[in-house]
Amino acid sequence: MSGVRILGIGSPSGDDQAGWLVVDALLAGGLDDIDIDKLDRPGASLIPMLENAAWVILIDAMQGSGRVGGIQRFDRKDWPDYRHGLSSHGFGVLAALSLARELGSLPPRLDLYGIEIGSTNPGEDAAAVIAAAAQQLARRIADELPRTGR
Amino acid sequence: MSERRRSVAIHVPVLTRVEGEGALDLRIDNGEIVQLRLRIFEPPRFFEKFLEGRSYTEIPDMVARICGICPVAYQATAAQALERLFGVELGPWARAMRRVFYCGEWIQSHSLHIHLLAAPDFFGCNSVIELARIAPQEVRRGLRIQALGNELMDLFGARSVHPVGIRVGGFHGAPSVERIGDIRDKLRAALPEAEALIRWAAGIAVPQDDQDFVCVAMRHPLDYAIECGDIGASDGLHIGAEAYDEHFAECHEPHSTALFSSYRQRPYLVGPLARLNLNHERLPPRIKALLAATGLVLPSRNLFHSLLARAVEILLALHEALRLLDGYRVPDSPWVPVAPRAGVATGCTEAPRGLLWHRYEMDADGCVVSARIVPPTSQNQARIEEDLRLSLLDFGLDRPDEALRLHCEKVIRNYDPCISCATHFLRMKVERT
Repeated sequence: MSGVRILGIGSPSGDDQAGWLVVDALLAGGLDDIDIDKLDRPGASLIPMLENAAWVILIDAMQGSGRVGGIQRFDRKDWPDYRHGLSSHGFGVLAALSLARELGSLPPRLDLYGIEIGSTNPGEDAAAVIAAAAQQLARRIADELPRTGR
Repeated sequence: MSERRRSVAIHVPVLTRVEGEGALDLRIDNGEIVQLRLRIFEPPRFFEKFLEGRSYTEIPDMVARICGICPVAYQATAAQALERLFGVELGPWARAMRRVFYCGEWIQSHSLHIHLLAAPDFFGCNSVIELARIAPQEVRRGLRIQALGNELMDLFGARSVHPVGIRVGGFHGAPSVERIGDIRDKLRAALPEAEALIRWAAGIAVPQDDQDFVCVAMRHPLDYAIECGDIGASDGLHIGAEAYDEHFAECHEPHSTALFSSYRQRPYLVGPLARLNLNHERLPPRIKALLAATGLVLPSRNLFHSLLARAVEILLALHEALRLLDGYRVPDSPWVPVAPRAGVATGCTEAPRGLLWHRYEMDADGCVVSARIVPPTSQNQARIEEDLRLSLLDFGLDRPDEALRLHCEKVIRNYDPCISCATHFLRMKVERT
């Protein structure tokens, strides 16, 4: 079993790169013995990536909960119930986490971070405020990691 | 028996567990269906127009963007059509690997549809999340099979969503022997899982139904047709891709951004059940025996057997991939040179959801003059409406509204419609005085 696994979720569309930018910032800071990856809208394939790890840190973009660049951490009790029917087009992180919970695939510790984003135009860079938020979140995550895992 | 006649209006504003955005309107007056429309309102996407003026070298990558679930079907069909026009003969390696690549797509798409979209209906669940509470091992197995399909696509396409592997003349690259050895181990390990999936799918209680419809699917003299073959129908039609237009027609209906297809002025069925009905004799003996043990009698006139047909095709795809990867060698070149020429290119393959037909008019420089793409969901759209009408009459129009709504959704999802693929630009006629 791996110790810590960090997964940044995003797409190459403007601010939606927020999760990837956090991974970039963590890698630039130097990390050893950490399983770290960027994912592009993984859908249900996120579920096996939550397995065989003691602690998974997920970072994704979010919209509709405050100022652009704001960072939020969600505990499991904060996840809304997923009641909608699903299409694979709409099988997002919440759906994957809800399914993983039913299948008993969630790791012992799961930290879910969201960065509030604005524009998501394909091919554009993320806004400066998003890049700054990604740096800030990377520092916060790095500070929480065990020293042996840095 | 009650003589009561009632009026019901059911509107499902957004269909869930289908690919893309559609809706259903049903109106029953005095015990008769007076309106039944599968309304596809997802905006048109103009793909055929985008292709005009583009070089043949760009087409496979552009059409792969039409669908996130079945991009290989679009790539393979476009490449096949253009190779035929340009007089390109693929080498044996590329020919075999096209089929393997396509098998990956069938495996992932079918497993996704069975477990995430269709199966919850038959267990009284609203979603796969609810299904996972009562059938966790089966859902886990489905996710593993889907992931294996994705891995096979990634192997040849560099990524599983919108892959970039195919080029006109072959593939851009060839996987190493080591990577093929690794995937073969996984494919072999998945065989018993796929066999168990067939037994599970066959055990799911589905409504009894018996409808008269024409099946249309590709046919091949030796293989269960996937990436090459002619077009056949259950009434005996047997034509090449170039003759598709002479037998099949498309028209617009005001309530849909997708085109409606017809064959001899009638709806027809494409997809897994149509393929299994027409081609089950081409299945490997082991799969034939397993299918016989389920008790399924073919040809089937019950569309609810589509889920089982998908499970059978998953096992077929695993078998085919293993067979074709046996003795794998990296070729000297994964592609052959291509010289474009002007003319009309047509091609067809069997996308997971059914027959996919492409037509390109090309100029002498190898650029697209015009393009036409007929996806499976357009072809099934009239059949879905016909099925809904017949199924509802059989189900009973006096049932509670919620039961009618659920039954309609179950019928529609059974076809695995990919609405995003099917939307087209509405042709407009402007009259000015």
